[in-house]
Amino acid sequence: MLGVVTKRSAAEDGKQTMSNGPVGRTSTEPVVKSGRGAKTIEVSGVNLFYGDFHAVEDVSMTIAPNKVTALIGSSGCGKTTFLRSLNRMHELTPGARVAGHVSLDGEDIYGKGVDPVEVRRLIGMVFQQPNPFPTMSIYDNVAAGLNLNSRRVPKSQRDAVVERSLRGAHLWEEVKDRLDKPGSGLSGGQQQRLCIARAIAVEPEVLLMDEPCSALDPVATLAIEDLIAELKSRYTIVIVTHNMQQAARASDVTAFFNLDETGKPGHLIEVGATDQMFTNPSQQATEDYVSGRFG
Amino acid sequence: MPEIARTEYLEELATLEASALGGLDMVNTALSRTMEAVEHQDVEMAQVVINDDDRIDGRYLEVHQSLITLLATQSPVATDLRLISSLLHVLKSIERMGDQCVNVCKLIPLTGSHPPADEEMVKLILTMGGQTRTLITQAKRAFEERDVEMARDLVRRDDVVDNLNRECFQLAIELGDDADKREWAMTMLLAARAIERVADNAVDIGEQVAFVVTGLFREFEDASHPS
Repeated sequence: MLGVVTKRSAAEDGKQTMSNGPVGRTSTEPVVKSGRGAKTIEVSGVNLFYGDFHAVEDVSMTIAPNKVTALIGSSGCGKTTFLRSLNRMHELTPGARVAGHVSLDGEDIYGKGVDPVEVRRLIGMVFQQPNPFPTMSIYDNVAAGLNLNSRRVPKSQRDAVVERSLRGAHLWEEVKDRLDKPGSGLSGGQQQRLCIARAIAVEPEVLLMDEPCSALDPVATLAIEDLIAELKSRYTIVIVTHNMQQAARASDVTAFFNLDETGKPGHLIEVGATDQMFTNPSQQATEDYVSGRFG
Repeated sequence: MPEIARTEYLEELATLEASALGGLDMVNTALSRTMEAVEHQDVEMAQVVINDDDRIDGRYLEVHQSLITLLATQSPVATDLRLISSLLHVLKSIERMGDQCVNVCKLIPLTGSHPPADEEMVKLILTMGGQTRTLITQAKRAFEERDVEMARDLVRRDDVVDNLNRECFQLAIELGDDADKREWAMTMLLAARAIERVADNAVDIGEQVAFVVTGLFREFEDASHPS
């Protein structure tokens, strides 16, 4: 399920320290599959390091499918680092290490022989700053993920994927007449939706979003939040946000990360239903953070 | 941990809580005057209570508006949100309590200047009034101290008021056939009923104490499910 080992991934495998796990090999699967379901992410005893620095300590949690899970916490608490460990982007940082288990519907994404590139296709990422490829057209930006794949996708199929992805990102009506224009010519909100379209073009099962609205105005922010609400019917969504009202509005489950003091590792304090976390959290630290008791 | 933030907002919330709960002192004053009016058939005192109800209503509207502004501007969550929600309930109860005092006071002129009053029934109603004032004081203290046990104890005290109300009803039945006396008794039953409702409102405030502290809203007792 998690793909075959390529030369590149085999090299990358050597860098990480995760345990082995059962991995299905489906080299004959089509590049673009339809009807994929959202999947459950199981995190168990995850510790994250940057060289000697212990950034995140002993996180265990289950991230449910078809739900939006928000990761909140003050700066430096490790929530973005943790997010990046969910699709093996953390290990791209020199010196970064991961210990513990992360599985996608029971399959260890750090398992021996698992292709990290395939993991990142199944678990897509949307970043804080909209980052369309500046010289590429809108069309090519969306199709970029398909083109990167080793299998050739026929033009007609690629057209269909681009349209479906742009529609899925609520951008089609705004750009359908200028698909050949550069993606960088779009507004900030449109660019972020273009990035979401690019992420969903490869039919992922999970979407990770790292503060996807922090560079956007309120109207564009609400448009993205509406989109997130719609996308959760098809994907598992994890979003890191500094905006607690956004976590309250847009997520079903909220996980609060904190650190005792600067230089210490961040850890998961509490995870629960968002309405519960914002009306009656069980931990005082959560209460203090969500109600702004500590600046 | 960094220093405590949002001090102005927290001070404002504390001030609004004190202001809302201060409404209970106003109700206690109104109830005390109402009992005086009942005891002495004092129409003028009754009119004072009726006129003064605008002050209770004013407190309700003023604090209510300020709480809505806090909701709109400060996005309160967790305990702060529960506190604001409960204060909105408490304010409504206070407004109802004030209105019940007015209802009793409006009855005073109807009984005439020399009503065929039954001393025992008047005594029962005055006892109800005294007990209810105790409930109001206890509800306020339970809220201020976030004391759920003290809040729950309001149910026990309310039972006393409920029993006195039933005694009033029994007494009215036993008063005999005199038409004037029966009419007076019927009017007094309305007064007793209004006071009994004030005590119920005090229990409602106790339920809000439990909500602020625990996050769970449960009625301590309910007309359809008596404790």
